[in-house]
Amino acid sequence: MDRLRIGTWILLYLLVLLIQVGLLPQIFPIGYVPDAMLSLTVLIALHETPKRGMWAGLLGGLMQDLWAGRLIGLNALTFALLGYGVAWVQQRIVRDPIFVPGLIAGLSQIVVVPFQWALLYIAGYHFSWLVFSRPLPVWILFSMLFTPALGGMVGFIPKRNRKRTRYRSFPM
Amino acid sequence: MGGFISRWRRLFITVLVIMVVTVSLSLTARVRGNVIGLSTLINTVVSPAESSMAFLGHEVGIGVSTVGDVFTLQQQNRALEQKLLKYKSMKLELAQVLAENGRLRGLLGLEHALGKWKLDPASIISRNPDSWFSTVVIDQGTRNGVHSGMAVIVPQGVVGRVISAGPSTSTVMLILDPKSGIGALDVRSQSTGVVLGQNPVAGLLKFQLFSSKANILPGDVVTTSGLSQYYPKGLLIGQIISVKHNHYGLTETATIRPAVDFNRLETVMVVQSHPSGASIPPIFGGN
Repeated sequence: MDRLRIGTWILLYLLVLLIQVGLLPQIFPIGYVPDAMLSLTVLIALHETPKRGMWAGLLGGLMQDLWAGRLIGLNALTFALLGYGVAWVQQRIVRDPIFVPGLIAGLSQIVVVPFQWALLYIAGYHFSWLVFSRPLPVWILFSMLFTPALGGMVGFIPKRNRKRTRYRSFPM
Repeated sequence: MGGFISRWRRLFITVLVIMVVTVSLSLTARVRGNVIGLSTLINTVVSPAESSMAFLGHEVGIGVSTVGDVFTLQQQNRALEQKLLKYKSMKLELAQVLAENGRLRGLLGLEHALGKWKLDPASIISRNPDSWFSTVVIDQGTRNGVHSGMAVIVPQGVVGRVISAGPSTSTVMLILDPKSGIGALDVRSQSTGVVLGQNPVAGLLKFQLFSSKANILPGDVVTTSGLSQYYPKGLLIGQIISVKHNHYGLTETATIRPAVDFNRLETVMVVQSHPSGASIPPIFGGN
């Protein structure tokens, strides 16, 4: 997969942000709206080096923070770490356009929610963990389905890296 | 002789047939009743066969016409399905128009009821991208006279307040937001306190009472007290669903279910100005 330019990242993040603020709230009830930006960060990071994954996450998170206008840095920090982590992991696992993005996005959701809860707690927002984590199953399911779908829509189909592929095909 | 007959055979047969027919006609003309009787007798004998044939013919006719009808029915079915689809979409449009009409009537009623209050209707165009906070963006800004701090209401009750205003859009913090706080009043007991937002996931509000011995009960209606810097007095906030006495009985808190359904918000009213000390009429939650 060719490395995406920052302009493409911005365009994709902007598009997903519009879906996040305009379309998803029409479908999901208030408080349960899933994070489509997380899915895009995972998708980008799956095709980048850890460093570039981190920058992409930082950019997406910052855009989301600026759009919300509250607690600037919450999503920037979260997604930067997420981008780094996902890009680091993808170098060590088999590439696949459906199952791997779905699985990693679902796992990311599980990691991100407690992380953000802790950040919010430090920032003075003392939410009850039980209430805070109530939408988690919805978000995990959404991420697992939405991320591969989004990847398919924007053409994020990874090229098979022959050097790292465990099983090789030999000419008959 | 044989050769003669053979030669004129056709003529003989023709003459013979004419003669037979003539005799027959002549006889049947005279003995009509008997002939009819004969006919009846024949009909009686062959009637089962006739009935069977008629039945068969009828059934075959029905079968043939049914096959023909299938094509006609298919065409009719297609036409009816298209009509049904059209009517369904019309029904949907009608339902949407009715819902919109009801909503606008409510807003119009609110505007009439409020008299000298200056309200600006606005549509919600987007929501907060995070789930931790609860803000919405409306399509009215400073160009339309909307500024920070203005209260936002709907006929059902208070929605929130404007926290930032751009030229053509404004951000409204809903009362569900964890940073939201409203001076509130329990209408029945006249106990005052502050209604605080919680996690939007819960969709409920927390009523922190000033008095430790406030006489509040589940089912009580809570409105704005007018002590708040932003909200005029008498706006309906919601209904108490549970009361909790904290440790040592020093404080009392209640949980409130908001009167406004925040999942269905589409059009809101920004309170641009209101007469000093004015209260909302009781129909809209005032007291």
